[in-house]
Amino acid sequence: MKFWEIGKRNLKEIYRNRVVLGFLLGMPLAFMLVFCSAFAGEQASPIAMSIVDEDHSQSSSAFIQYLGSIEAIELNEPIYSEKSQAQEDLEDSRISFYLFIPSGFEEAKQAQQTVNLELVYKEADPMIGLQVKPIIEAVGSEFLGVAPPLNVELKGTESKIKNETVNFFAPGIAVFGLMILIATGAGMIAGDREKGFLARMLTTPAKPWDFILGYSLPFIPVLIISTLIYLGVGMAMGLTIVGNLGYAFLIFFLIGLCSIGIAMIVGTLLKSESQAPICWVFIVPMAMISGAWFSVEGMPSAVKSVAGALPFIHAIDGSRAIINGSSLSAVMPDLYWLVGWAVVLFAAGIVLFRKKMVS
Amino acid sequence: MNAVQTFKLTKEFDGLVAVNGVDLEIKKGELFSLLGPNGAGKTTTIRMLCCLLKPTRGTASILGYDIAKEPFKVKKLIGVSPQDTVLSERLNCWENLALIGKVHGLSSNEVKRRSKELLETMGLMERAKDQVRKFSGGMKRRLSIAMALVHDPELLFLDEPTLGLDPQARRAVWEYIAELKGKKTILLTTHYMEEADFLSERIGIIDEGRVVALGTSQELKTNLLEMRSMVVTAENITAEIIADLQSKYSRLEKVKEKLRISHKDLDFKEIVDYLHSRGVTVYSAVLEQPTLEDVFIQITGKKLRD
Repeated sequence: MKFWEIGKRNLKEIYRNRVVLGFLLGMPLAFMLVFCSAFAGEQASPIAMSIVDEDHSQSSSAFIQYLGSIEAIELNEPIYSEKSQAQEDLEDSRISFYLFIPSGFEEAKQAQQTVNLELVYKEADPMIGLQVKPIIEAVGSEFLGVAPPLNVELKGTESKIKNETVNFFAPGIAVFGLMILIATGAGMIAGDREKGFLARMLTTPAKPWDFILGYSLPFIPVLIISTLIYLGVGMAMGLTIVGNLGYAFLIFFLIGLCSIGIAMIVGTLLKSESQAPICWVFIVPMAMISGAWFSVEGMPSAVKSVAGALPFIHAIDGSRAIINGSSLSAVMPDLYWLVGWAVVLFAAGIVLFRKKMVS
Repeated sequence: MNAVQTFKLTKEFDGLVAVNGVDLEIKKGELFSLLGPNGAGKTTTIRMLCCLLKPTRGTASILGYDIAKEPFKVKKLIGVSPQDTVLSERLNCWENLALIGKVHGLSSNEVKRRSKELLETMGLMERAKDQVRKFSGGMKRRLSIAMALVHDPELLFLDEPTLGLDPQARRAVWEYIAELKGKKTILLTTHYMEEADFLSERIGIIDEGRVVALGTSQELKTNLLEMRSMVVTAENITAEIIADLQSKYSRLEKVKEKLRISHKDLDFKEIVDYLHSRGVTVYSAVLEQPTLEDVFIQITGKKLRD
């Protein structure tokens, strides 16, 4: 049980160093508080729509009133009577888009002819058009009863998730937070190596795996406490755990182990503790391309392939899915990736340690 | 069987030869010092013998075990106090000793008993529960030596055990090491000649990676020093007398009323008689004891602290 003795020493070194302990536990707390506070109050907000009514008819007024009664839409005041005014405001970014009701709207409605509406938005912001067009089509068809009649029903569905935004961010931040262990763990090994403590320990009969386990061990409680902080603060800020909390914890635990494994490898390669911040060059881009803070859907396929080969995206996707109600079987491929990576990283750490420490 | 046996032990770093074909035989129970200036290859030699560095060429065995083939057997038998006093700074004395003791397989009771003995011997018992980061350099050094001894190793490596200590602390560490003489085999490295002289049974002088002289302190001084020196304090020494002495002896220095004469077969009586015969008033005449520094200069042509 040599690894246990080395682990105990490292545990004491961490827990008696207030700066390191504060960073390890304070960082997740601060991250979760900042992100969730920023987004906790945000519910699905209605789309703010500006309208230009060139028809000035009873029908156009009724249509505008109908649009205003739709929950998903919030009408901007005033209603423009001139298209040029709306266009000017759009170009000045005072509004993000507008719906143009041309003259002849009432006539076309009464003659049951095709009614033309224009949705005007900035080309640089195409998502607005794509997002709003189906709503207008659905609402317009229902109001106008145009042929062929569209039977689109607008109906809100009650979700178990109280706040989609928090449920999106919380797992990503948790995984990013656990990636901090890479820099801290690597710094600890590199520091002991730089100061000569590791060399002293290498004159004892301890084996390489004793060192790898001994240096990993103290981070396990940190990992567990950090995960509890992430989940606890997240829930206080509106995170809804729909699925099995234990499975989510398992995923966080596995990505924590992967981070510790990476830390052991990096720590073995670094020559001094002062080089440890170089880990952030890896951590931040990995968190980005793994979808910690935003969706990876729009990323180039090459970037998605790189992210997919690494463990972080599997931890983020898997934990999000479990928290949002997916079953364990649905995230098994992610779990396989995480377990595989944890085993590979620890094995590589032991091999590298053996190679690098006796030269 | 020797405690340490090396044969043509060599270590190169990117073509730079740090240790060059060192042959050593250290007997069990012997206190052997490797004396040499900084960068001579002392620490590299110890690091190879502790299985921290692989030799580029040559072999070495510790108590019969080859350092390259059986490093873990070697590590069970040795205790190491490194040059830099590396301790676990946020652990106290008990915890530091327990770490090394338990990694060597000692039970909790054994660790406690050995630690108590060592802390008392090293004069650290009063501060035993304090985190060692609050300790002075001397206290840390004593704890470092205690850590090397906690598992009762057969062979002890002390790499520059008094480096950076004040004279009082140095003297205290010497006393602890002297107490171990005969009980343990000790390989000590130092660049303090007085340390090697005071503590060692045998000394190996190392320079530029090579062991250039080997023997007891007395053997080194008597066998290797070609010249003896004497210092005469006298009055009325004329230029003519000095010229006469210079023609007979290898080296002569005059500072005020002191005359330092060095020569291979220096005859103390002959010089004093000669000075008396020339009317010189001799107040004192002292034959200088040679030092290891003299030996080192004789062999390498440079001073130990160069």
